Amino acid sequence: MHIVVRCGAALRAPKNKECLMPLLEIKDLRAAVGGREILKGINLTIEIGRVHAIMGPNGSGKSTLASVLAGRETYEVTGGQVLFHGKDLLALAPEERAGEGVFMAFQYPVEIPGVSTSYFLKAALNAIRKYHAQEELDAMDFLQRIKDKMKLLQMDPSFLNRSVNEGFSGGEKKRNEILQMALLEPRLAIMDETDSGLDIDALKIVADGVNALRGPERAILVVTHYQRLLNYIVPDFVHVLRDGKIIKSGDKNLALELEARGYGWLEGATAAA
Amino acid sequence: MNATMTPAANPAVALEELARWFERAPSSDAPWLAEMRRRALAHFRDVGFPTTRQEEWRWTNVAPIAKTRFQSAAPADLVEPSRREIFHRMAPYAPRSLGGYEIVFINGVHAPELSTAAAPAIQITTLQDAMARHGAMVRAHLGREAPWEQNGFAALNTAGFRDGAFIHVPDGVVVDKPVHLLFFNAAGRAPAPLLVQPRNLVLIGAGAHLVLACVYAGQDAAAALTNTVLEMVLGEAAQVELVKLQCASDEAFHVAHEAVRLQAAANLLSLTLNLGGGLVRNNLSVRLDGPGAQATLHGLTLAAGRRHVDNHTLLDHACENSTSHELYKYLLAQRAGGVFRGKILVRPGAQKTDARQTSKTILLSDEASMNSQPQLEIYADDVKCTHGSTTGPLDDEQIFYLRSRGIAAAPARALLTYAFAGDVLQRVRHAPWRQYLETLVAGELQRLHIEKAST
Repeated sequence: MHIVVRCGAALRAPKNKECLMPLLEIKDLRAAVGGREILKGINLTIEIGRVHAIMGPNGSGKSTLASVLAGRETYEVTGGQVLFHGKDLLALAPEERAGEGVFMAFQYPVEIPGVSTSYFLKAALNAIRKYHAQEELDAMDFLQRIKDKMKLLQMDPSFLNRSVNEGFSGGEKKRNEILQMALLEPRLAIMDETDSGLDIDALKIVADGVNALRGPERAILVVTHYQRLLNYIVPDFVHVLRDGKIIKSGDKNLALELEARGYGWLEGATAAA
Repeated sequence: MNATMTPAANPAVALEELARWFERAPSSDAPWLAEMRRRALAHFRDVGFPTTRQEEWRWTNVAPIAKTRFQSAAPADLVEPSRREIFHRMAPYAPRSLGGYEIVFINGVHAPELSTAAAPAIQITTLQDAMARHGAMVRAHLGREAPWEQNGFAALNTAGFRDGAFIHVPDGVVVDKPVHLLFFNAAGRAPAPLLVQPRNLVLIGAGAHLVLACVYAGQDAAAALTNTVLEMVLGEAAQVELVKLQCASDEAFHVAHEAVRLQAAANLLSLTLNLGGGLVRNNLSVRLDGPGAQATLHGLTLAAGRRHVDNHTLLDHACENSTSHELYKYLLAQRAGGVFRGKILVRPGAQKTDARQTSKTILLSDEASMNSQPQLEIYADDVKCTHGSTTGPLDDEQIFYLRSRGIAAAPARALLTYAFAGDVLQRVRHAPWRQYLETLVAGELQRLHIEKAST
């Protein structure tokens, strides 16, 4: 495996001067849907152990970026490169990306009537274990593992018998996403507008779940419209996306400034870029 | 079609042959039945087989049936050892492990040596036997629950049926095991396609409970027309779970008229599962005839090749405060065709009717086709009637969701296909039948998948 280790990232954690391994390197990424370009040259490097937030108004391309990284086929990559611990991520099928450790928490988790949550989670976990040539877990080992994770997210074990996301409330669906993240232990977790549709109690539970998974073994990319979520999942870096480009990057204070002044405050930056 | 079939140049010839054949048949019928048969035959001669010019048959062309010269299954063709052999070959469609009371018909002829011993407290026998011993009870219902004046096939059955099952559950009896009606067809040495016409009558007393499974299965390459009629009455507060499993051979025709009448507070839960048949038409009519009656109809159809499966349902709300829920699903591969026509009739005065209908189809190939049509006729003003229908390929968003969790495309598609079917099967209340059908359908889906890959 070819691993690029370098310190040339545009950003460095303010309190941490040592050189970290880049987990994800996005270079001049361009993507279109239906012939219309949405991502117009994204450059972003994410080091392992870090939490990055991408903020931006509606239509800026936030969710497109998340979807392109996860491998959604409705988007056509028209240029650029994405390296995931040195591998060409864009050449991999969605399931291979999952195997490599990319996980996206969906903005709108899909309902799958007829598939129990328990069956789905076990199939996912074992698919990823198989990718790493690990033995599949049997039902007993799986249940033990999943029940521990469910406690963390204050989820009732009866969830396991229900069809995937079917009839779940907004909060339950998002908790189910974080449960999957906890179970699959990805190296890069992308939270696509995880805060949308959540009340403050549900938001706290979800944020606690994400925070419990923060650590030196993974990076987290939080995509959000609002600063609110970032009160609970405090990022190391904040980037502002507008019209398919990152127009400003900073630390967590950038999010607070955006909250206070609105996206309009960065109009000048757009013009300059 | 199978090479053993010899289509007549003119459908009228085949039809006339049938008519003459029934006229000639020696009969021990009671006078009332002989008269009913005579009228039914006259009606059949009059209307013949339906054509696609008739609204009810717009999407299902029965010309292949009308053109075929059938022969009646003669008992002499099938002596006891070969009947036993046929039965054992069909065993996967009715495992003895389900522990039901079974009555078996091979090519429409009762096989007492294969049927299980009588059930305590209830009557399970042949219709011929019931007519001899309980003539008045049969006469009160036969031909009345499923009117044959509206349809050539029902008239044909009435004119020419040989036998079938008769079940009577007295008031208040909760039958401890399911009752299985097994209809197995095998071509055997028959030189021409067989015409098999079962006629079943099921009478459920007030407060009685029954699980009833009707299995129609055909051995490979057994070209035949099964033209079956089931008439069933549920007394007050009776509860019936009805499972129909249709696994005819890919060359066979299957036409069914199933008519169920529910008295007050009676409850019917039904599943129509179509796994076979070259040309299939099921007509399931439920009349909700007393307040509090409730009917829940489920359907699942798996079809590939050039098979054509048509389900027509009628929910006839004939009094106030009755409820019907309906969910029919289709999985169509290759060049298979599906039809769903669900009629909800709310008669004058049937206030507080609650009727919900849903049909969903997944097309697994571009060549598969589906026609789905709800038909609401409502003559009351305080009712709740809803219907919805979807047809399309597997959902891309669901596939992506599974793939993004590490499950590769092919198993993701298989999982979603199974889930689509499993959603219907999990509504079967009788646990051993539910588990048996889940296994059976999983196997059939695997077969569909293989067929799909090989084309």
